[in-house]
Amino acid sequence: MRRAGAPLSGRDGGGDTMAAATFFGEVVKAPCRAGTEDQEEEEEGRRETAEDREVRRQLARKREVRLFRRQTKTSLEVSLLEKYPCSKFIIAIGNNAVAFLSSFVMNSGVWEEVGCAKLWNEWCRTTDKTHLSPAEAFCVFYHLKSSPSVLLCQCSCYVAEDQQYQWLEKVFGSCARKNMQVTLLTCRHVTDYKTSESISSLHSPFLKALKTQNFKEPPCCSLLEQPNIVHDLPAAVLSYCQVWKIPAVLYLCYTDMMKLDLITVEAFKPILSSRSLKGLVKNIPQSTDILKKLLTTNEIQSNIYT
Amino acid sequence: MASRYDRAITVFSPDGHLFQVEYAQEAVKKGSTAVGIRGTDIVVLGVEKKSVAKLQDERTVRKICALDDHVCMAFAGLTADARVVINRARVECQSYKLTVEDPVTVEYITRFIATLKQKYTQSNGRRPFGISALIVGFDDDGIPRLYQTDPSGTYHAWKANAIGRSAKTVREFLEKNYTDDAIANDSEAIKLAIRALLEVVQSGGKNIELAIIRRNQSLKMFSAREIELQVTEIEKEKEEAEKKKSKKTT
Repeated sequence: MRRAGAPLSGRDGGGDTMAAATFFGEVVKAPCRAGTEDQEEEEEGRRETAEDREVRRQLARKREVRLFRRQTKTSLEVSLLEKYPCSKFIIAIGNNAVAFLSSFVMNSGVWEEVGCAKLWNEWCRTTDKTHLSPAEAFCVFYHLKSSPSVLLCQCSCYVAEDQQYQWLEKVFGSCARKNMQVTLLTCRHVTDYKTSESISSLHSPFLKALKTQNFKEPPCCSLLEQPNIVHDLPAAVLSYCQVWKIPAVLYLCYTDMMKLDLITVEAFKPILSSRSLKGLVKNIPQSTDILKKLLTTNEIQSNIYT
Repeated sequence: MASRYDRAITVFSPDGHLFQVEYAQEAVKKGSTAVGIRGTDIVVLGVEKKSVAKLQDERTVRKICALDDHVCMAFAGLTADARVVINRARVECQSYKLTVEDPVTVEYITRFIATLKQKYTQSNGRRPFGISALIVGFDDDGIPRLYQTDPSGTYHAWKANAIGRSAKTVREFLEKNYTDDAIANDSEAIKLAIRALLEVVQSGGKNIELAIIRRNQSLKMFSAREIELQVTEIEKEKEEAEKKKSKKTT
């Protein structure tokens, strides 16, 4: 048996390989990490071809975030907030947060759609990647007809890391916004919550808040403690607001049910007393009924219960 | 750590709850409404029909099942659990008859079902049955009976009761309207059951199923037409009552 590590004579492929003997007596080729004269050739092989560049370009185009108006089918030339400046911007990310705003805020007034963001990433379920139909728009923006300086965003799609910057550019634009307050709502699974207390004392769902330095109002719940962090689009928006000194607060609901769930949605209720939402909520008992209807229509018709 | 387990399996929580049993009662509320009425010479079971898919055979979606010739039951909750309980009860009815040469009493079979349900709240690794049942029938002594069981394994006799979705609303209606006059004769008892269901059923008589047992007779299931006739009569009576009321006020 050849001694493990002894070099073979001759070369194959792009580099020297050594033969190594395994425990069972097989001889396997192991790449040699010592450099060879063929290193230059290898580097050339790794250089991008025109084909690679084309593939990369196509991928970037597929993953582009597009903002447009559904009614006119025209895309927005400027950022959303430049076209529709607002004093209050409420963003719901995730299906439970979206259901909360739909039942408690959007039924207490007339909201007009001002734009929607279309994007594609590996998380999307649509098969046609180039032509997303209007019915599949996941990220919709509304403003209150009676008070157009109140903007609302319902985002129920996942915005990937490489798309978050584009989303921010297309929505917020690249200049500072004055006199604006941002409120974000989202959910996270309770298993992500790190605490030194015993888990039996946790009663999920529960609400935690994280705010930017310029947000002076007291939040409606306790602040998010270290070492917990915020992820994805809410983190991107909060970071943007912190950098541009926009007062913003994120209400994060830790829940054990990530799918649409009545108890999780109701956990957002304390926010209704905050200044940003107070004027917008009128009919709470009716909202609970709307929420229940929303949930029952989402339940799959099943034979489990008779 | 203990408090996380008592929600997942049927053990006591520190404050004495059996969470799994309580959650099973929530599962019952997801089933459609069933109402049971004990009259003088008749027992009535009415259920809200579950909406059947287009290609589904309607006959295989039944909420009212006969356990024996003189006993029948309606359930609300998990369909599969109900099937298991009904099978066991039917076997027990026949086994009892062969052993003792007498048909089961309604109380006996109810106790059997309740004991079965209770066993599943005390065994490890098993979850409680997610059904409540209304069991009706006549005993040999000719007395009508109505019993209700729930996932915890308790059973009680009732004059009238409802289970399933909106059971509370139906029960409140029954508490107001179950009078001696209302059960004076068979047709009044049947009408009371239908009126109770109409409180909570959408789109009226089409979605109601009714079964009755009269003394010394076997179970009779009402056809859709018969139910429609009853509903029409009830609506007529309602109109007349309203006319009388408006006449009185003017």
